[in-house]
Amino acid sequence: MHRSRWFASFPLALGLLALRPSTGAAQDPRLERRLDSATLQSVSAVIDSARLQGLPIESLVQRALEGAAKHAASPQIVAAVRRLAAELGTARLALGSASSPMELDAAASALRAGVSPADLTRLRHRRTQSLTVALATLADLVASGVPPDSASAAVIALAASAGDDQIAEFRRAVERDIALGAPPAVAAAVRVDAALRQTSGATPRRP
Amino acid sequence: MFDREEDVLDRVIDQLRRPVEMDPTLDAAVMSRVAAGEDRLGRLAAVWDWVSRPRDIAVSPLAGLGLAAVLVGIVVWLAGRSPQIAAPAAGPSTVQFVVVAPGAASVSLVGDFNDWDGGATPMQATRNGALWSVTVPLTPGRYRYAFLVNGSRWLADPAAPRVQDDFDAPSSVVTVGG
Repeated sequence: MHRSRWFASFPLALGLLALRPSTGAAQDPRLERRLDSATLQSVSAVIDSARLQGLPIESLVQRALEGAAKHAASPQIVAAVRRLAAELGTARLALGSASSPMELDAAASALRAGVSPADLTRLRHRRTQSLTVALATLADLVASGVPPDSASAAVIALAASAGDDQIAEFRRAVERDIALGAPPAVAAAVRVDAALRQTSGATPRRP
Repeated sequence: MFDREEDVLDRVIDQLRRPVEMDPTLDAAVMSRVAAGEDRLGRLAAVWDWVSRPRDIAVSPLAGLGLAAVLVGIVVWLAGRSPQIAAPAAGPSTVQFVVVAPGAASVSLVGDFNDWDGGATPMQATRNGALWSVTVPLTPGRYRYAFLVNGSRWLADPAAPRVQDDFDAPSSVVTVGG
């Protein structure tokens, strides 16, 4: 009698398991603490999908936590995480599957700023070293008001010969010029010429 | 025995009574040293008098503009160094974040590096409570962050690039290393 009751309850248990929110891998405890259950379920689904595609997921977790800290509405948080996941996927297509998580994060920022995937690919072909600083510079220049095409042209021109520190110094110089009132596109053009003259005789740095 | 001691005493007295013979060039050497010291003090006094004496300086407008441009350049250069990143040879870099928030009761640094936890990285007030700063170790990467003033108001870092925000609140970004 007991045995038949156990068998009868088995399908019910299976059904309950099937109805359980399907989130694949274990949910991030940081998200569990900060998101309500509906938001957590949607965000975890996006993160699981990204994980299956081999995309870096830490930035997705951080974007959801940022939304929670800023008391954003659930749909806003889910949309932000979904959009970032799409940008990371586009970034990997443009840069190649061997790209590091840091490069993909920086490339996603550049895409968000308005840089085209084709320019990211050109940058990858142009530079054998890590692209993280170059991509971050690209995104920051656009954020400072340099048109995306001008910023891309400048960073791609520098990419072959300049080291990370020279690219970072180029960004600082452009930002200084803009702060002093120079038009952003002009500041980028002038500073990239100066940086290229400076690096023309230098040997490309290796990581 | 007493005779011998008196004899020795007499010879010592005789020796002490002899006139001391001085080097005849000693006076001249001392006087030349004194004169040299007076010259050095005189030169120092002249320099001090020259640098401390008020005077009128005529500067052309062009030179004045050049001087002003140099001073502005120095100020902008100093202002453009935030957040300041000091990278040691290995391990995380130390990054200093600074923000002006006069009248704030509390300011926190919140971002990707502390899971956007408003209580994780409180900033310390300096200079009459207007300037708030904190230093955090960061491994290479690109981090979004913002300042949380009085636990409710979000503030971007005016000294760092802004990022497009998904949540209608400002954020900035800092890139550490490569």
